[in-house]
Amino acid sequence: MSNAQLEKSDSVAASEVSLYRSLLKIKRQHELGDLGIAFYDAETTVQWSYNADQYFHAASTMKLAVLLGVFRQVERGELTLEAPVHVRNRFTSIVNQEPFMLDLGRDADPDVYGQLGKTMTVRELAFWMITKSSNLATNLLVDVVGIGTIQSALDELEIDGVKILRGVEDQRAFEAGLNNEVTAHGLLKLLRLIADGRAYSQRACDEMLNILLEQQFRSGIPAGLPKAARVAHKTGNISTVHHDAGIVYLDKRKPYVLVILTQFEPEHGRGTAVAEVSRDIFSTLANGAYD
Amino acid sequence: MTDGGENGGLKVVDAFDLDDELRSILKPGEMIRDAEGRRHRLPRYFYEIPTYEVGAGTRLTAHFSLNEFILGDLREAQRLQRYPRYVPCAVRILAFYLEEFREKAGASVHIAVNGGYRSPSHKMSMSASPHMWGTAADIYRIGSTILKTQEAIEKYNDIAEDVSDEIHVLPYGHVTYKEADDHVHLDLGYITLIPREISEDRMEQPQENRPRFAFEERRRKERRVAAVGEDEA
Repeated sequence: MSNAQLEKSDSVAASEVSLYRSLLKIKRQHELGDLGIAFYDAETTVQWSYNADQYFHAASTMKLAVLLGVFRQVERGELTLEAPVHVRNRFTSIVNQEPFMLDLGRDADPDVYGQLGKTMTVRELAFWMITKSSNLATNLLVDVVGIGTIQSALDELEIDGVKILRGVEDQRAFEAGLNNEVTAHGLLKLLRLIADGRAYSQRACDEMLNILLEQQFRSGIPAGLPKAARVAHKTGNISTVHHDAGIVYLDKRKPYVLVILTQFEPEHGRGTAVAEVSRDIFSTLANGAYD
Repeated sequence: MTDGGENGGLKVVDAFDLDDELRSILKPGEMIRDAEGRRHRLPRYFYEIPTYEVGAGTRLTAHFSLNEFILGDLREAQRLQRYPRYVPCAVRILAFYLEEFREKAGASVHIAVNGGYRSPSHKMSMSASPHMWGTAADIYRIGSTILKTQEAIEKYNDIAEDVSDEIHVLPYGHVTYKEADDHVHLDLGYITLIPREISEDRMEQPQENRPRFAFEERRRKERRVAAVGEDEA
């Protein structure tokens, strides 16, 4: 190995150590119980991870898998994006098949529950499921495609680390410990397939990216980036987790895919840990550590 | 066969005269079982609604247009999601009772999506229900009241039962298809309406069940042979 190569290798190692220390500091400062991170930079082809195979409660990041399941059916010709779906707030628990309704006061999206009793298209529901994290839209789409189809999509695309058992707000299932779970590596693989146009078709990936780019909750990954950055992403929040998983587009370079999963005690609240991790990773990449 | 006058020229069709795909979806004359195992024969005569505009413009009563009874989503057979669409002629009787119900309720009555006619091929058509006869309605809103509480559902159930002994409602509860917790279900049972201009001396049984005569079988074979010959040429 030449001196130049050795110096470069030392520099990369130093950057990784620095990043690692910085992340541990964020974890300590925010009193996170757990932190999982994975990123892949298409510009440098570097992949880096921390605790990326640990399972977390998926919260609303499970909606990425639902999106994938929807486009699987569309690409197979078994569903169209313009198909009408009855907007109805009545679902069935995976525990004892008991019916349940969503607490619409908690849902961030009056655009969907304002349509109760009417129809919305699959495309509209997919849009609100992602961009405003509508739980009602999510459960409607889960009913349309089925949990089995969503899991089939994950299996076909060899995405390990994303386990989807049910829709959202299934309190009976939650109490029984039956939850959707994700790892940072699992979501990284899912997003890389979309970013690379390898999830069913380029057209399907373009459609999914267009929806993800319209995300309206920007306190996670985007909050740690320059304003010019475009991020196709999906957040996930419940009282004990705050996640963000996305594809970051910056000028004059290929995108990078980043997944940040955090878990904490409910009394601590979610804070700004995800944004700070995003900022650190952006800084590491922007400083050319891997160039 | 047309039903003139106030129907605005709506065509009545014998579903046996429709194409194979529609016959397989509507299953005219077929017997199916309800949840209790009782057998019922599916309706055969339908109004054909050529366009959305015709359905919206056709008033069955003062306050109910034909389209309100065919609101469906992707669970309905794909062919029935586009026009021309079909609804059993008995829907007219349902509309009459709904108009009475509306008057007693004192407010507008809104039928839910998938809450009017559902074909036997609809994904919610697990077993026979009056929805498949066009004689049932799931009402999700009355005036500005969304029907999602026990109090509201029971109040309007009582009003519906007061309209006529013919009306059956589902009690408030959470058992799907036997109870209702987010709508008022009312139905008139399994009524088949045969328009007066229909002559019932035509084929009475579904084609697949009708005994075939020897000459018919022979002709079918001849047609098949001829078709193969043409292909080879």
